[in-house]
Amino acid sequence: MTKPLYRPEEAQGVWVYLEHVGKELTPVSRQLLGKARELAQKKGVHLTGVLLGHEISHLVEEAWAYGADVVLWADHPALRRYVTGPYARVVADAVLSYKPDVLLLGATANGRDLAGRLAVRLRTGLTADCVDLAWEEGSGHLVGWNTGFGGGIMAAILCPYHRPQMATVRPGVFPTPQPQPRRGEEVRLPVHLQEADLQVEVEEEALVPPAGIMSAQVLVVGGRGTGGQFDPLWELARLLGGEVGATRVAVDEGWIERERQIGQTGYVVRPKLAIVCGASGAFQFTVGLQDAETIVAINIDKEAPIFEQADYCVVDDLFQVVPALVRIIKEG
Amino acid sequence: MPGEPLQADQALLLDDELWEQVVRASDGMASLCYQCGVCTATCPWGLVLKEPLNVRRLIRRAQLGLEVGGDALWLCTTCGLCELSCPRQVAISQVMLSLRRVAWRRRQVPRGLSRVLWDIQFDGNPWGSPPSHRSAWARGLDVPQFSATDHQVLYYVGCTVAYDRRAQRVARALVSLFRAAAVPFGILGDDEPCCGHAARDLGQLEYARHLAQQGAEIFRRAGVRTLVATSPHCYDMFSRHYPPVSDSFRPLHYTSFLAQLVEEGRLCFRPLPWRVTFHDPCYLGRRHGVVGEPRRILRAIPQLELKEMAHTGPKTLCCGGGGGRMWLETEAHARLSHLRVEEAAATGAQVLVTACPHCIACLEDSVKLRGLPLRVMDVAEVAAAALAGGEMP
Repeated sequence: MTKPLYRPEEAQGVWVYLEHVGKELTPVSRQLLGKARELAQKKGVHLTGVLLGHEISHLVEEAWAYGADVVLWADHPALRRYVTGPYARVVADAVLSYKPDVLLLGATANGRDLAGRLAVRLRTGLTADCVDLAWEEGSGHLVGWNTGFGGGIMAAILCPYHRPQMATVRPGVFPTPQPQPRRGEEVRLPVHLQEADLQVEVEEEALVPPAGIMSAQVLVVGGRGTGGQFDPLWELARLLGGEVGATRVAVDEGWIERERQIGQTGYVVRPKLAIVCGASGAFQFTVGLQDAETIVAINIDKEAPIFEQADYCVVDDLFQVVPALVRIIKEG
Repeated sequence: MPGEPLQADQALLLDDELWEQVVRASDGMASLCYQCGVCTATCPWGLVLKEPLNVRRLIRRAQLGLEVGGDALWLCTTCGLCELSCPRQVAISQVMLSLRRVAWRRRQVPRGLSRVLWDIQFDGNPWGSPPSHRSAWARGLDVPQFSATDHQVLYYVGCTVAYDRRAQRVARALVSLFRAAAVPFGILGDDEPCCGHAARDLGQLEYARHLAQQGAEIFRRAGVRTLVATSPHCYDMFSRHYPPVSDSFRPLHYTSFLAQLVEEGRLCFRPLPWRVTFHDPCYLGRRHGVVGEPRRILRAIPQLELKEMAHTGPKTLCCGGGGGRMWLETEAHARLSHLRVEEAAATGAQVLVTACPHCIACLEDSVKLRGLPLRVMDVAEVAAAALAGGEMP
């Protein structure tokens, strides 16, 4: 086993790495502060927010308001935008000087990138994409709950011998706390960058808006069984605040645009809820849905392979079931 | 236009480094081409696309060190039909894969392909399916974990067959055939490695080599001698692109193995009065000359009538699923499998039989879209049905 850089007995406190966009903290940073506040209180330790950037002093108060007792912040022109090298250097230096017990990050593109680099540099473990966090009874280690392997199992992951215990959490997993008018401490972090940290220069940042079906929490998906009648599906999706997706056959038949195709050669989606209507469940389609949290399948053929994958199976005509669902939702 | 002076922006820029990369990656194969164009003329894409895949031009541009890429590069199914006619015996598919390799370096790769590679890396299969479900197809069958002392044969299931619910039926059929012939066999279960053909087909030649080394090591440690693979693509990897596993390592496609069992009288079939036709998978009939074996199995079934299609044996017509095309979209009007199922239906066959999971997926899809009265089955499924004297599906 790799030798830890500091011992668990030396480690203290819960840290949250804070991301920000524009003039405020990102939602996942606020959510993490909320959860971490709960963890810190249970253990009677301080909650520390780590904030990096340039001209960001105004964010310190926001971090206090969302629950941080202490804000460690570094302000430097080289930190204006997220770049792995300098960010990892500053955070790793801070971790080694203050020796926190826990370090939490948002499972965003940058959060994941930084977490991986830090875990290697700090010779510690990282539990990615946790769906819950808790202290283990007795040992007091952090338990990262993770839906491993396509959601089929729930894994409790520990990092007992190395510190900090690191975890990333996806946006939306924890609720956003109410900001409180409170003040904490602040500590300015030193920024000692080396030439190796400055190999990358960001010329431009571009945000690609994800396709509707990629970010939708609810998807109503139609296949061959719709016969091209997607109207009831659209209505259901609208009522549930979701989007409409489709199988390859539905796209091939020209019933719907290819941008909505789910599957190996379409999009791989991760909705919380997928209602699959009239799709038999060909493998190349279901691989695009295997990360969905809950699948409800409606199909008239009870032998349809989609039922092997679905959490809830409705063997009936979708044109009976979907309008009935719509009616019930409307009646509230 | 002839006679008009070229404008500055029409000048061609030659890139020696590109050419060298292609030469290296294709083992010098691209240099052999003398530009006769038979490849372009024989390429099956010409049958379904208005503009054929101009193989000759792709190679020429590579030879000159001109920018190579675009969608055309990713169309090639590596079916190998062009190689059959090439007077210079250029391994054209290999040139195509080495051009894809260059495209990866330049990050000119269609959307979604890098995910396939990450899926292999993290989940051990190109479908991103859970590694812990790899042997779920065998649930209830009580298939033993392979042991070199107890088992003559390692049955290598392969990623697609292990996870694709449709293709899983082929694996289950094979288990019943092995048992009927009293073959001592085992599987590697959740430890079975990905053969790496998807990585290779997508032009990630180094990664495919790495996967091959890992796989070879697993087979060596397990003491595998005879390996029987479901998919011709995996079989091709084991027999042509793997480092030496051991002196006694012998990979086989399952049709070769079953044909052997039939000859030894270890498999006896009851009559099946079906009219069938056989679609030769490119990586079986063309690349490995395994043409007689699947037919010998089918002919050993009493009352089964085998009709041949116009394109048969080494001159088979690709289903469109090779060369990584299983992970790329093909517009509905341009699917080679549409042609193939029409051809099969024209023989009057009730069942279109094949011996590759990619072929099954493509052909079955086309049969559905075309609404043809055809059933797509694997040789193993037909043979297993004949064990029981099955009803017409």
